Amino acid sequence: MPEFIIEAVNVEYSYPDDTKALLNVSLQVEKGEKLAILGSNGAGKSTLFMQFNGIFHPNSGCIKYQGEAISYKNKDLIALRKKVGIVFQDPDSQLFSASVWQDISFGPLNLGLSEEEVTARVKKALLDTETTDLQDKPTHLLSYGQKKRVSIAGVLAMEPEVIIFDEPTAGLDPRHAKEFMQLLEKLSKEGKTIIISTHDVDLAYSWSDRLAIMYSGEIIAHGDPGELFLQPHLIERADLALPWLIEMHSEFVKKGWVPLSTPLPKTKEDLVRNVPTKSDQQSAK
Amino acid sequence: MIDIDSYAYNNNLKTVHPAEKALFAMITMVVCLASPTVITPLIVLALMAGGIIFKAGIPARVFVRLMLIPFSFLLISVLTIAFSISTISSGFWLSQTIKGLTIGIHYPDLITAIHLFLRSLGAVSCLYFLALTTPITELITVLNKLKVPVIITELMVLIYRFIFVFMETATTINRAQSSRLGYVTMRSSFRSMSGLFSALLGKVFVKSQELYNAMAARCYTGEIKVLTKKHPINLRNYFIIVGVEIPLILLNLLGR
Repeated sequence: MPEFIIEAVNVEYSYPDDTKALLNVSLQVEKGEKLAILGSNGAGKSTLFMQFNGIFHPNSGCIKYQGEAISYKNKDLIALRKKVGIVFQDPDSQLFSASVWQDISFGPLNLGLSEEEVTARVKKALLDTETTDLQDKPTHLLSYGQKKRVSIAGVLAMEPEVIIFDEPTAGLDPRHAKEFMQLLEKLSKEGKTIIISTHDVDLAYSWSDRLAIMYSGEIIAHGDPGELFLQPHLIERADLALPWLIEMHSEFVKKGWVPLSTPLPKTKEDLVRNVPTKSDQQSAK
Repeated sequence: MIDIDSYAYNNNLKTVHPAEKALFAMITMVVCLASPTVITPLIVLALMAGGIIFKAGIPARVFVRLMLIPFSFLLISVLTIAFSISTISSGFWLSQTIKGLTIGIHYPDLITAIHLFLRSLGAVSCLYFLALTTPITELITVLNKLKVPVIITELMVLIYRFIFVFMETATTINRAQSSRLGYVTMRSSFRSMSGLFSALLGKVFVKSQELYNAMAARCYTGEIKVLTKKHPINLRNYFIIVGVEIPLILLNLLGR
């Protein structure tokens, strides 16, 4: 039986203006897994994330951390937020200080760590996000992608168990998006639980262990990424598209290049490997 | 203003301890304001101009342009001190009488005006020295060390950061409006401008809520705790400060 680190149990939430943002959402996140939440704009991904570290209270239902419903007392919330970090979508709403160094040190200092420890963590976070060169620059002179990386560093420095990234690669150039995915891989190897929201189907498919698809406040499906993407009606209903890997794979199967029983490719390399080279085919005859 | 801000982060004195720069600028400013002669302000002006242009490496034209801003204000206020209008035409150093009213300059007033003018310019140059060489974030840490109430310094941190966020937002909205011909006539300009302000006001509320949420997510409990970078303390700089200020103070005392 897998250990669930965070769970949403029948969570309902509406904004003060009565917009229903979450409708009976239940989701279980296993410890150490890579979960991607896919959904179009306004599907409720960010709202769900705000539930996970107690910033929003559900109207009904509850959020559980390690099997226990979270308490909304100040002290307990702080304890929860030490474990569950969120990197917000808009770095401008997360960076409160004009100094990169000061902003990154904010989280770890709130954990009550010593100055030496905080300094070490800030340096490590700068290194991990490749922002060491930016540490003396003011945040308002940084580009969007640079701000994004600094805001990621601000959460990494707190070393939470669960890290939630809201649209992490939106606004990053291909190189930094790729490096960011490598950073996620590294964090995952360190045993962190990682949740990202995205509408990049290729990224969600290749990266995640498990996928949840949200559509207007509901989780309409969750499970193995490969299985979900083989249900075209589901993908269409959620205003999403198929990952190119799956599209190519199905085309290859249709044309007989790849046998039907071949497992779905997770990477470009898998896809290429599945297609036999010409000489192989001749010898197979 | 944005110019000053970017120079503060990119000048040759940026690694100098902010407290040393602040001390130097503040003491010099007080000495300059307290000076009874015109010599001290002139020396201060030269000192600060040298510091800004040669030590900090800020282009001379930037410094001159910045000095011209208070220059015009000062000139107007100083002229009102220098000139007086009177029905008595005697005692003027330079005057013109029209229909019984004499407009002119009394000699002591002129001296006072020149004094005031130079003292103010000197003091402004001290402030520019500080503003051009020291980022606001570092000044705030100096204020913290001086035990300025946290509420003030925290507000400074947030206001300073959000000036830029909102200016960026305003610029974006303005560009979007201009590209849809929002400012072609007087009428549309007024309408676009009011639209811009109401959009900004809306954003202020949204952004402040988002900021609070984001800070809460990083365990914010009501006090902004941040680590500031340590700057090396340079004894030589303190000797320079003492070495410059003592002669200036002596000069002030001699001038009395």
